[in-house]
Amino acid sequence: MTREITYVEAIAEALDEELARDDDVVLFGEDVEEFGGNFGETEGLYEKHGRDRVRNTPLSEIGIAGMALGAAVGGMRPVAELQFADFAATAGDEVFNQIPKQPYVSGGRLTAPLTIFAPSGAGIGAGAQHSQSVHSWLGNVPGWVVVTATTPYDAKGLFKSAIRDDNPVFFLPHKFLSEQRGEVPEEEYTLPLGEAAVEVEGEDVTVVATQLMFHRAKEAAEQVDADVEIVNPRTFAPLDTETIAASVRKTGRLVVVDETVERYGTQGHIANEVVESDFFSLDAPPKTIGVKDTPIPLSPVLEQEVLPSADRIAAGIESLF
Amino acid sequence: MTRDITVDDATAKRLFEEMLRIDVFEEETKARFGEGEIPGFVHLSGGHEGSHVGMGAAMREDDWLAVGGARLIGQYIAKGVPLTEIMAELYGRVGGSNKGYGGQMHVADVDRKLYGHAATIGSGQNPAVGLALAEEMQGTDNVAVTTIGDGGTSRGSFHTALVFASYWDLPVVFVIENNEWAISTPSTSLSPDHLSDYGKPHKLPTESVDGSDVEAVYHAVSEAIDRARDGGGPTVIESRVARLVPHFEGDKQTYRDSEEYERLKAEKDPIANYRERLLDAGVLTEADVEELTAEILAEVEEAVEFARESPEPNPEAAYENVYQLPLYGQGE
Repeated sequence: MTREITYVEAIAEALDEELARDDDVVLFGEDVEEFGGNFGETEGLYEKHGRDRVRNTPLSEIGIAGMALGAAVGGMRPVAELQFADFAATAGDEVFNQIPKQPYVSGGRLTAPLTIFAPSGAGIGAGAQHSQSVHSWLGNVPGWVVVTATTPYDAKGLFKSAIRDDNPVFFLPHKFLSEQRGEVPEEEYTLPLGEAAVEVEGEDVTVVATQLMFHRAKEAAEQVDADVEIVNPRTFAPLDTETIAASVRKTGRLVVVDETVERYGTQGHIANEVVESDFFSLDAPPKTIGVKDTPIPLSPVLEQEVLPSADRIAAGIESLF
Repeated sequence: MTRDITVDDATAKRLFEEMLRIDVFEEETKARFGEGEIPGFVHLSGGHEGSHVGMGAAMREDDWLAVGGARLIGQYIAKGVPLTEIMAELYGRVGGSNKGYGGQMHVADVDRKLYGHAATIGSGQNPAVGLALAEEMQGTDNVAVTTIGDGGTSRGSFHTALVFASYWDLPVVFVIENNEWAISTPSTSLSPDHLSDYGKPHKLPTESVDGSDVEAVYHAVSEAIDRARDGGGPTVIESRVARLVPHFEGDKQTYRDSEEYERLKAEKDPIANYRERLLDAGVLTEADVEELTAEILAEVEEAVEFARESPEPNPEAAYENVYQLPLYGQGE
């Protein structure tokens, strides 16, 4: 049985169910109590689960992330919210130096089963410090499991798995997709971390895309005279290279489109993985498409200019034939 | 400096023994480092032994210690990590507490409730607040003690930790070991009269003690821990010590006044002072001290042998422990 709910409702459901399921889960972040989160993602949780389990914090990502690390090592399963993914940088030492490395430098003696979740991506005119896609930053630091969500189905199933995983997980919903509706099962489910999903089957070209870019890639597929297969990586670190490579072995062509900037973005890494392992299955050079190498501008016109559009993706696909 | 002994004889002996253990262990570490047997950097604790041991003795085994500052080895010893495991970790060997992944900056022992150093100075205090939160949510009366040096108090992360700890009134004791030097930057150039004053805007209890007096530290930290355990929230303690060693082995200390340094060595050595006090009070005799020293020397020698004989890690081990595998939902 399925029903249609919004992406942000899917997130709230995941939190609600995991708080109910496991007493060790504790949710904290800025404005998660009565305010209900910037996008409504924590609405009703405080009233239902109480102040012990759903906790407002003072305004400091350093405190939120650092405290999540300690609470995780101490036996809890914290879910820490940053209001925008860009704020991974305001907790830079915690996010880049501490959380992903402590389990390693301890020689595996400690685990940090925490989840940080933070809306990422552009498209709502939020400007340069509130619109970045940061999964390439995080994917660059071994130790983080980096998960993005594309649909309400993804958002709920992947978030629940993130909370249950024993690694530090950075879970990145996309803020532009908050109100997007989609089918979600009535019954409880989770989705595996570290596994990509072939969302649309096709024969001629593989397009790797996630979050907003997945939806634009679907539009682009309608515009081109080619049978497009779309692969949603879901987890960027560790990356399910095999599912992507298998798709390319079938289609012979690869377009990687992502909302990270093209310079040192995820696109180059994914294309490289395929080039190194399956070069001879390629009928054309891989095409990489991302945000132009600029900060995200505020003006909706400028913002749409630097983000990959369906037209740009369609042109990228056609350039391979 | 008080000459009285303010603790019972057994405690006094234990405090002295632990300080001596740190001293002997570190002298040997210095020698082994000098011989090139220990990779990386080595920061020694000279002058801090009383602070480390007074704090360690005030804690219960089930209290967390989130170590910070740059002087760590003495704190690991004060938390009860076996010397063999510490030395092997300094050597980067598989017998080390962290199997060679961590080294001097990262000795972690979750079973003994030692949270390893953040290594970026000042980033361990927020995790300590999280550890206290975890204990509170799990319904224990355990506390978290976290240490930092004077230099680390300049980082925003330290101040954030005070904000969060006081916001939720969590059982955390912040110990600032003020040895007056952040490598070469003097703490006298910082504004507060006492670095514990940083707790005042948060309306936290604060105290500044002579950190070279092991009993003074023991009493101050005990009082703060008792308060935290009873639901009284965080405390900020400044433990004023002298850094009687270079910042790291190899630091020429060109920034220090040599006469002042010699004066501090003569006046602020916590072990020499306490030894004298215990001898004067008749708690220990010269013969006791000699016997104890011989025992500890043997223990340290054993730790070095253990480290030397412990194998180098298999290179393949470099790829372990990055992730707990399988990831959730895989392989079911």
